[in-house]
Amino acid sequence: MTSLYLYPVWLRLWHWVNALLFLTLIASGVSMHYAGADWLMPFATARVVHNTAGILLTIGWIGFVVANARSENARHYRVRFRTLIGDLIAQTRYYMIGIFRLEPHPFHVTEAMKFNTLQQLSYLGVMYGLMPILLLSGWAFLYSVYLPETLFGLGSVWVVAMTHVVVSYLLALFLLVHIYIITTGETVFSNLRAMITGWHRESDPTRTETTAPTPRETP
Amino acid sequence: MNAFDKILLTPKNARRLLVTVAVGLLVLLMLYKAVYPILFDTYVGKSNAPLTYANSQPISEKELEAMATELSLNARRAAAEAIVGQDANAFARRVKVEMLMNTQSFMREHEPTHIKYFRDANILQYEGPKTCLQCHATIQVRHHDGRTSEVDTLDDIVNSVHFKFQSDGGGGFSTYGYDGRRVNAEGSRPIPVGKINRACGIPGSFSWTGWAALVESRPESAHGEVALRSEGCGQCHIGGNYQPATEKMMPIGDVPDVAKEGIDCLICHSTEYDMNQRYVIRDDVGLRWNQDRTMRAALTVGRSTTKNCLNCHQHNMGGDAYLHNEAAKALGEKHQRLLHTGAKRGNPFSPQDDLHAAAGLQCTDCHVPEGHKIPRGRMGVDLVANDLPDVEVSCVTCHSTAPHNRSKHKALLNGHLDRIACETCHIRALQDNNVVLRDWVHPTWDAEEGIFTPTDIYRSGEVNKGFTFLWFNGNGTFLANALGNNPNGSTEYDPLMQQLVRIEDPEILAAVREQAIELKKTYPDIDVDAYVEAATDPLSQLTPEQLDERRRMLDQNLRAHMNDGESRIYPFKLFNAMMYEDMGNQGPFGAMILPFDYATYYETGDTAASVKQAIRDPIVQRMYQEPFKRYMMDEFMAYFGVSGGWKTDYPLVDGELNNVEPKWMRQMGSLMVNHGIQPVGRDCVECHSPSGILNYRALGYSQERAAELENLDIVENLRPAASLSATDGG
Amino acid sequence: MNALRNRTARPGAQRHPDDPCPPPTTGRPGSTKTRLVRLGWSLVLWLCLFAFGASAEPAGDAGDEQLAEAAADRHACLRCHAMSSLAYRDPETSEIIDLSIDRDGLAHSVHGELACIDCHRRSYRRYPHPDRPAPGDMDCIGCHEGDDQNLSRGWVDIDAEFKRSVHAVSDSPKAAGFSCHSCHDPHRFRPAAVGEPLAQIVRNHNGVCLSCHKRLVSPSSTSHDWLPNRDAHWTSVRCVDCHTPVADFANHEILPAEKSEKNCVSCHSADPQLLARLYHFQSEEDIARRGLLAKAVFNEAYVVGMSKSPALDRLSLAIMGLMVLLLAAHGVGRYLARRANRRA
Repeated sequence: MTSLYLYPVWLRLWHWVNALLFLTLIASGVSMHYAGADWLMPFATARVVHNTAGILLTIGWIGFVVANARSENARHYRVRFRTLIGDLIAQTRYYMIGIFRLEPHPFHVTEAMKFNTLQQLSYLGVMYGLMPILLLSGWAFLYSVYLPETLFGLGSVWVVAMTHVVVSYLLALFLLVHIYIITTGETVFSNLRAMITGWHRESDPTRTETTAPTPRETP
Repeated sequence: MNAFDKILLTPKNARRLLVTVAVGLLVLLMLYKAVYPILFDTYVGKSNAPLTYANSQPISEKELEAMATELSLNARRAAAEAIVGQDANAFARRVKVEMLMNTQSFMREHEPTHIKYFRDANILQYEGPKTCLQCHATIQVRHHDGRTSEVDTLDDIVNSVHFKFQSDGGGGFSTYGYDGRRVNAEGSRPIPVGKINRACGIPGSFSWTGWAALVESRPESAHGEVALRSEGCGQCHIGGNYQPATEKMMPIGDVPDVAKEGIDCLICHSTEYDMNQRYVIRDDVGLRWNQDRTMRAALTVGRSTTKNCLNCHQHNMGGDAYLHNEAAKALGEKHQRLLHTGAKRGNPFSPQDDLHAAAGLQCTDCHVPEGHKIPRGRMGVDLVANDLPDVEVSCVTCHSTAPHNRSKHKALLNGHLDRIACETCHIRALQDNNVVLRDWVHPTWDAEEGIFTPTDIYRSGEVNKGFTFLWFNGNGTFLANALGNNPNGSTEYDPLMQQLVRIEDPEILAAVREQAIELKKTYPDIDVDAYVEAATDPLSQLTPEQLDERRRMLDQNLRAHMNDGESRIYPFKLFNAMMYEDMGNQGPFGAMILPFDYATYYETGDTAASVKQAIRDPIVQRMYQEPFKRYMMDEFMAYFGVSGGWKTDYPLVDGELNNVEPKWMRQMGSLMVNHGIQPVGRDCVECHSPSGILNYRALGYSQERAAELENLDIVENLRPAASLSATDGG
Repeated sequence: MNALRNRTARPGAQRHPDDPCPPPTTGRPGSTKTRLVRLGWSLVLWLCLFAFGASAEPAGDAGDEQLAEAAADRHACLRCHAMSSLAYRDPETSEIIDLSIDRDGLAHSVHGELACIDCHRRSYRRYPHPDRPAPGDMDCIGCHEGDDQNLSRGWVDIDAEFKRSVHAVSDSPKAAGFSCHSCHDPHRFRPAAVGEPLAQIVRNHNGVCLSCHKRLVSPSSTSHDWLPNRDAHWTSVRCVDCHTPVADFANHEILPAEKSEKNCVSCHSADPQLLARLYHFQSEEDIARRGLLAKAVFNEAYVVGMSKSPALDRLSLAIMGLMVLLLAAHGVGRYLARRANRRA
């Protein structure tokens, strides 16, 4: 049994705070978007909750970016362009076919690299692509007075609103996939446990040296 | 730094540090608690000592029962008589009263509540606040906004106007200095101020020098025998100490516990309080006021009733000489209190002269207390202190904005509310002995009382003689002048240059002249013409430069506060006095007034000697020194309209008065009158006629509008009807 | 003296001008025009009317003389009636009846140049006045019947609308004797002025309703609680926008509560431009009132429907549903594969 300490305390803390904020934002956002969804959260409460959670999410995101840039965690986000295409095909093939044939996982988790390519790309996209857009559009909502009257010939508030909604739908979609994928670890809950304890555990130490590792996944 | 930390933080040193800090704090606390009061008392020349009262005697249980029976009977009889009312047959009435008195439910309801409490707690001696606080250490206070809170009773009373004569600073004051600043407004340095423009000879905050005095009177009827009489501010203030709450004047420090033990709870709370116990006594420490601390008074405590309030307040409403002033009929079992024959306001609160009193209303029905803080309303000119500045006391609270219901012309009468205060029509006259002009400098011998008294050179309760009408928005000046303006924003309305500084009524002028001629017989130095001019045209005492300065200050500093809010026409009692002034501290509105020593004044009539004696008081000397100048007098002078700060030239040099002159204050004070409300208001033509009581031009109406108001055709149409409406009780 | 100032306590006092003539039926009745568009149109119309009214002054010597006479008449009446506390307590209801007329309000009103006796009987010229008005006194239609040519909606139509309104049909004793004057104070009545802020117009308008429907706005009121941002609606939307038929602009046909508009979409989501404008207006006010930071947390300006696009919502939800199905299928596949493996 090998154990890798992949998730330092700050990262886990951030992850779970982020998760909590996400759920809060979804709940309050939905109740505002579909006004009258009072069973979820009364409108007036939802407004304050959504704004507050949004502000906290922004702070959390900035913290994440800064911490990521300053710690070793950043290396997990460095894309290996050389093998990119091959890895991508291998990973996709694994999820589509291999996983049902109980084939070994094409990617092996190490201390230097905890994400497979597919993961890496989706996290990069989410954390450095969608999140900033979401946050910016959220803030733009709050201070829409300072925006120009129109953007691209459309009412700027409308542009902001639409961006915010589209991105939040995309992120909700990501969340669905994310929650599903973490069940594809060694056991259904092993990845969840890893994010709680910080330790990535593998049951068969002898196999770690071989070229065909058991399927391991990190969330 | 680190090395220092290390040395400091060794356990031994840390412990030492802790001990040092603790000891330091303890020492500071001790200095504040024990040394500061002594130093302060020495500084202001006052002393404190435990207070004893001869009438605070223990009684036996048997005596308690006898007293209880008697008091219960008294209370029940009074209540039963009120219910039974008048019966033609005196015997039948007596039988009815006695029947009622012995009815079970009636007995339960009308027996003084504390008889049972005292019996159960085995309290057989009344020892002042100590006794009350055994049960009433804290009280529930219901505030005007519906909040309730629990407060420390002693603390509540000690910090109320009734005890300390001033209220805590911050918002709500409606008094403006002649420099245009609101007195003790937030952000300014709060100074202790309570009343302004007092009609007594101990003006301003000089209650220290006139707290308690024993006067040797020589009444004619006693053929030269000396009779001791009591006089002083303490007769109306609830502290029982040798001086007022001087400590409260300072930013730190508290009244000593022994002084708090002198608080007279019963004068406000006992129905059987004996005003004959209220006289000045002398003990080893000095003079102070006696009070009723008998078990008899204690057994009848309860909520304050009108009777309690009037123990003191009829003095400033109806006056001491008012026929129905009950307290003035119990002057003391010895050292009888001196009566002031001229009335301060002359608008009594009594069933005979006020319809609210006649209807059985209690003072506290309108002035609804919050604990021991009692609201005086948001309007007022002659009191700076206000315990509850945000609480409204006004007619419309009960009467609504449509008070007239009976008259055919009720809508027209109600229409007047917008510009005319209720008092304007419903106080038709003040008491005849209402003082308008009082000369303190030339006293007259009162043979009956055997003392010299200030000479009231003009008294009148008549409209436009004893009182007049001014616009008023609730603001007042530092010397009690109503502020307000015609809602048309007139610049013509100018009370501090007109209504309050000029007496032109030939009747008054003649009366003043007559008095001056009379005074000249005793004081040959008096120049009658000059005397009349100064008294009736006080601005004649100012130099042209001072007049210009006055004009400038009125326009620049006060005009804005006159235009504040909503003004209505109110009646104001007028008052001015001639006193000795410290001319070193003079401004365009007056100079610092100097106090009199009561005993010297009343006994000798030598007013200069009396002033000398009074200002020898250590606290007046302190007033003329640097710390007091910095602490309060500079600010005081600024409000007073005196520029350049307080001059500390002590007005007594080598036993002679220095730079002190007798002067009339440069304008009359205007005192609000709100009691003595009469059911029948004024008739239309009293105001709406060319010779009406309202001078519309002087009140800032245009020529055209004034003419219209003086000659209203519809008033002529409804002449007979209007007379009918005059019987409207509202 | 607060009570004296408390005008709202006096029925009839401070009634603000309502729209004298309802907006024209320019839109196709029953079309997709929203109530917000209605509000916009009404404003435009008021402004037009105002400009028009200003140019239609009577002229000539005879006119001047008449004007002077009317002014003298008004002056005589206002000597008493300008006293703002002119009022009495009704002996039957104990309510205070306000008889005062605001001098400036009258001067600026559409009736500002009339003589009082034009509407009130001549016998009112003398005091004391008759106890009650004679029948036919103070009848709006009586004077205004001929005015219809200037208006796209005639007085007769208004009369008909009013007769259908809940105020006229209700048999509640509170609605007894309901007339034009119950809402419109002829002494203050005027069209909205150019440059008057929207919020002010809405407030004046709703003030008319609230002068009777006081309880609605009491702090403990739960009325309209179903409405998100209830108070914001009350400051930005006129009561009549929801409480008159959506289809036509029958401003005087007040509907009973149960028939009034409750569908948010009638206003929200159809025209993003209009919404954006409303949002802007609100947001500026917010910042001015509370400061930037508080604004971020409390952002009261959020408008329901702002971010709404039904198509996008449907698409997104469909994609998400599909994804859930996909993932579920994937999971089942994994489970079956594992089971097969274990058996093997």
